Amino acid sequence: MEDVAWVRRGEITEIIGRPSSGRTSLFTACLRAVTRRGAIAALVDADQTFDPASATRAGVDLRCLLWVRCGGRRDLALRAADLLVRCPGFALIGLDLGEAPPRLPLTLAFRLKFAVERTETALLIVSRRRVTGSGASLVVETERKAIAWVGPGPLPTRLAAARTSARVLRARRPPAALPPEWWSA
Amino acid sequence: MSRFACLWVECFVAAAVERSEPALRAAPLAVVAPAPSVTRVVDANPAAREYGVRAGVTETEARARCPTLVSRPFVREHVAAARHALLEAALGVSPRVEDGGAGLVYVDAVGLTWLHGDPAAVGRRLVSQARGVGFPGCRVALAGSRTAARVAAVRAAEPVMVVPPGAERAALAGAPLAALDLAPDLVATLEGWGVRTLGELAALPRDGLAVRLGPAGLRAHDLALGHDRDPFCAWTPPPFWDEAQGLEWEIDSLGALAVVLDAVLGRLCARLVAASLAADALDVRLELASGGHHARAVALAVPMCEVKPMLALLTLDLEAHPPAAAVTRVTVSAHPVRARAGQGGLWQPPAPRLRDLVAVLARLAALVGPDNVGSPRLDDSHRPDAYALTAFAPPDEPGGAGGERTPRPDPPLSDAHRLVLRRVRPARRVAVATDDERPSRVDGQRVVGCAGPWRASGAWWDVQAWARDEWDVALGDGTLCRLARDLTTDGWSLDGVYD
Repeated sequence: MEDVAWVRRGEITEIIGRPSSGRTSLFTACLRAVTRRGAIAALVDADQTFDPASATRAGVDLRCLLWVRCGGRRDLALRAADLLVRCPGFALIGLDLGEAPPRLPLTLAFRLKFAVERTETALLIVSRRRVTGSGASLVVETERKAIAWVGPGPLPTRLAAARTSARVLRARRPPAALPPEWWSA
Repeated sequence: MSRFACLWVECFVAAAVERSEPALRAAPLAVVAPAPSVTRVVDANPAAREYGVRAGVTETEARARCPTLVSRPFVREHVAAARHALLEAALGVSPRVEDGGAGLVYVDAVGLTWLHGDPAAVGRRLVSQARGVGFPGCRVALAGSRTAARVAAVRAAEPVMVVPPGAERAALAGAPLAALDLAPDLVATLEGWGVRTLGELAALPRDGLAVRLGPAGLRAHDLALGHDRDPFCAWTPPPFWDEAQGLEWEIDSLGALAVVLDAVLGRLCARLVAASLAADALDVRLELASGGHHARAVALAVPMCEVKPMLALLTLDLEAHPPAAAVTRVTVSAHPVRARAGQGGLWQPPAPRLRDLVAVLARLAALVGPDNVGSPRLDDSHRPDAYALTAFAPPDEPGGAGGERTPRPDPPLSDAHRLVLRRVRPARRVAVATDDERPSRVDGQRVVGCAGPWRASGAWWDVQAWARDEWDVALGDGTLCRLARDLTTDGWSLDGVYD
């Protein structure tokens, strides 16, 4: 995970932000980095929002991705993530809790934390707000700064890119690299 | 330069029976088959041959020559399974093997010295593989042609013999004409000329042989010189591997049947191990005393080649679905698959162990439903959100063609950081107000920027035709989303949110 070195194995990382703030693109960049070097990743998708076409365009190798769809059941998503973090061998486990993340009991947050420490897996949680409290080693908040439109005439015909910024809210150690800012559409 | 090894098992039919019943190796054994009027010996092991028991004699005569003779009926499946076992054992050494007949396997040995060492080490490896699948008396010879290797293997006194390159003619010189399996009339003609050995045959003038004996004479001359006449025909293993066991008495209890299944699975697993494979499905076919048969298929959750768990699964399945009558014959078929190595390469990224992965996938399927766990695969379609969820099977063969789980080259810089879409499933219908055909309000939210339309359509030749205009829209609350206008219904929907 050269270009996402800020995500560390054996730790919980949270990416939070408003819709269209770039958190899913940031998460997909992590998936790309993992799967393109041949490692195995899993995604627990609470709201079934993952778009395979976008991910493929972003460079994710779908063959190395296990997708668990939870159909809006966040309790199932948490249990599925709890199962996956206990299986050694996954380089990255993503937990997408969507726009209405549940409040995680402290016991569950630390249960996940100890499990990822033991299995050397990176657990990456994407949601609207923080859910694991002090269980997360790194919390990054994304925010959209600008949108670039392009087109041959006065009216734009294509979304070209979006510029986002990432702010570190909590870090046990300083992150190794800053996330990218421009995302091409 | 070509280089071949010949793996040869003497008295192969008897060796196939001994493979099923190893205790018979110490006794004189004859394999008999009923003929129309009398039962005759088909094959005999070396111990029985010392008493003069040969193929073709009647069982009565054989017993008269050897009072301690043990006889077993000829079972075609035993011989076929043994033949496949020998071929599969050779496949564990070289990817190119040829079926030369019962008890005879040719192995393309070119390049094998890089893997196993000198030619003698290749031969020892073949012998070890063959012994592993139940042929302790096999012999191997390596030579520059298959003919020379076969003759050398048949005449060898040691388990492994190596004919140096270029010495094939000398190695064959002392062998009798019978070593070549020539036509009897040709052998009679040659013997009439006083030719007794392959060396004498090779010394005959080739032109004279062609004039007097025609193509058959030239072929015999080539073989005597150690030249192969036929092309190498590589053998491909069948999709299912069978092992059978005939029973001398009927079995009507599951405990006794488990003992037989244990022996059959032991032979089957030895074959799988020799070829570095595992089985992911087992088929059991029991022939019953009533004349019918009882068939069961057992799918294994994890590819395996261990006897104990296979036996436990088969026994449990047969307990749940017992045969209707006593069993007279057992056949087990295994579907071989390439087993994932327990440890990956030094530079290969770690992956879940197969057993752990299967267990966690089963638990996830029980939790969220089997249709919601898998690996996404894009459909070959321009229809939006066209994908399928397939069974999760990460590629696991480093260096293999197409299926390797090795690092891929980085995509172009433009693809390095892509804005991705969060899909809304199913697409939510929205009320859109337009201004000069461009969206101006979405569900009451003001549109601060938009781009489009991007028109797409498909399946116009079918009843499931679709056509749509897509718009990328930035709303006043900061949301950047993709809207779609269905051109067939003129309705607007929210496809997803860029995030």
